[in-house]
Amino acid sequence: MNTTAIKDLIIKMADDELILGHRNSEWTGLGPVMEEDIAFSSMAQDKIGHALALYQILHEQLDGVDPDRFAFLRAEKDFRSSHLVEMPNGEYDFSLMRHFLFDHAEAVRYESLAASAFEPLKSLAFKIKGELKYHTLHANAWVMQLSNANEESHARMQQALDNTIALAAGIFEPSEKWESDLISYEIYPGEQILFQRWIERISPILEQASLRLPDLKTVTPVYGGRKGYHTIYLQPLLTEMGEVYNLDAEASW
Amino acid sequence: MYGGGYIYDEPNKRPLAEQLAEDPDKLAAFEARIAKGEKIEPGDWMPSEYRRQLIRLIEQHAHSEIIGALPEGTWITRAPGFKRKLALIAKVQDEIGHGQLLYNAAETLGKSREAMINDLLSGKSKYSNVFNYPAETWADVAVIGFLIDAAAIVNQVANAKGSYGPYCRALERICYEESFHLKQGHDAFIELATGTPAQKTMVQEALNRWWQPIMHFFGPPDKTSSHSEKLMQWKVKMASNDDMRNQFLDMYVPKIWELGLSLPDPLLRKNEAGKWEYTDPDWDEFFRVINGEGPCNEERLRVRKWAEENGRWVRKALMQPSDKKSFPVA
Amino acid sequence: MSNDSLDPRVNRLKLGVAGEAIRVEEGENWNIYEVFHQEKRGAHHEHVGCVHAPNQELALIFAKEQFARRKKCVNLWVVKSADILAFDVEDEDMFANNADKNYRDASGFKVMEKINKYKQSKK
Repeated sequence: MNTTAIKDLIIKMADDELILGHRNSEWTGLGPVMEEDIAFSSMAQDKIGHALALYQILHEQLDGVDPDRFAFLRAEKDFRSSHLVEMPNGEYDFSLMRHFLFDHAEAVRYESLAASAFEPLKSLAFKIKGELKYHTLHANAWVMQLSNANEESHARMQQALDNTIALAAGIFEPSEKWESDLISYEIYPGEQILFQRWIERISPILEQASLRLPDLKTVTPVYGGRKGYHTIYLQPLLTEMGEVYNLDAEASW
Repeated sequence: MYGGGYIYDEPNKRPLAEQLAEDPDKLAAFEARIAKGEKIEPGDWMPSEYRRQLIRLIEQHAHSEIIGALPEGTWITRAPGFKRKLALIAKVQDEIGHGQLLYNAAETLGKSREAMINDLLSGKSKYSNVFNYPAETWADVAVIGFLIDAAAIVNQVANAKGSYGPYCRALERICYEESFHLKQGHDAFIELATGTPAQKTMVQEALNRWWQPIMHFFGPPDKTSSHSEKLMQWKVKMASNDDMRNQFLDMYVPKIWELGLSLPDPLLRKNEAGKWEYTDPDWDEFFRVINGEGPCNEERLRVRKWAEENGRWVRKALMQPSDKKSFPVA
Repeated sequence: MSNDSLDPRVNRLKLGVAGEAIRVEEGENWNIYEVFHQEKRGAHHEHVGCVHAPNQELALIFAKEQFARRKKCVNLWVVKSADILAFDVEDEDMFANNADKNYRDASGFKVMEKINKYKQSKK
């Protein structure tokens, strides 16, 4: 089995979870209503937890470094996060739509990993299945209810979808070097198949929500993150995330 | 987390006798029930002053939770390492959860959550003074998580034995979660106190900054507090400010000293009678901060207003004005 | 855009001016649902508190994280507070003398006493 390929897959998955977990955790204490604040914060914690679990696989199974050092000391160019997760929070419509699109992408990815030939990913997929079920249940309820509520909320959700779809399609940026290896070793089915499953998953929900999914032929996925090219928002966030840790990376915090 | 012993009251000029003018038979039955150690439930008859005081108490406790989420939230994106980061997010989330439980308990008394939020935003209703101070460094989060939560637990454990059922039930749940808060705060505190020289300096400086607000936390000395006798009889107030402060000092000063840290009060000591002696904190500053002149009062309310204002479209979109509504039943 | 806060999150928000009057409309925090928590299969659902929600679906979603994010839980119920019917507190006296009606309880029947008495009489 090609461990470099597996590492590449795990790093991009983990970096997405870490960065989006951070973005979503920024809402803790600032949400639209207390009950939702609590729910959204739990899901942010889950994402950071997923990142940690993936970094632990790297550390323990693939000769990687300690998760804290890997997450908080790496240079920006070594991150493999997609541009979708790097974007600042903006308003709640954007955050909810990103949550909806990302969490369905995550769900189809982990469902496929339940059949992975790489055992640690397979068992992680099994472990977090219930969490992802709640995340998508939550996302579906909000997207459907807000989009069908009033004119303003429908317009906001449609706008958020229009603004986010190309970024979200960028989650599925294939690895130039490793894609075919990962598929042939049955680590996962490959980005192209996941993308199709994702579209099949979100389309009927968007339809029920009376939202118009832009014609995918006109959508150019925003790629680059998986190669280490990032938005201007990533470096400031990384600096912030590591601010205390980097006061003394050798110290115990 | 955070009731605090001091509950702000609006200036109340009505004579005490008038405030307590109630049906004597009902009042006697009510007081007898409390004296027997029974709880009062939402549908029960209660003196209007009991209702007013409880709403005031529980509402300010609730406000303290959601405002209290802000100073610690300051470090959410910067908490060092996975464990601290996850624990801090979970803790701040709990504060919101506690606010939710407390607003519900207050609502059983007939004041809506919206009305309480409005009184917070307008400044009519107060919250614990301690949250009007900034969390300047990571060590401030450790000090808050350890000592402010510890102080809050002293207060909340006492209040959980009070007379009003819904408040006691909320506090029971809250105290269960507080044990996690205290533990994670103590852990982060010890990590710094036993860490590198720079970490020790960081936590010592934070401790120096927070000592006065912590001494303020339980409210002014008993000799200056008014009208607490009736509240004690009705089991709204369960312990005096000085008693709670003494209990806190007794439990936590040794835990600070054992780590080789100092406290910025040369007079602080336990006397032969087992009571703690200390320099009186600046009570003028306490009242100045309550009245809006603390370092963070303005920011806290502006942030809270931002959250309400920016969440409005979400709430309004799903409002169901024709829906049959009532207050919580228990 | 900086608000000069120590909190970088806050510096990314566009805060309003100090003293701005913001009011929340009555009903904006939606309706109230009572939450019942089942700790394990076979156990009763127990009342644990309530959530504010615009409808049942979101009430259940909110209840899950507010009341089951730590303690063991296998299921939750939500029901609108307004739909709960309860006795008035004044009617507590209706329940008062239940304990006197010992013909409803096992303790009200002295079987062993009678057997012993019978055995005694046979000696």
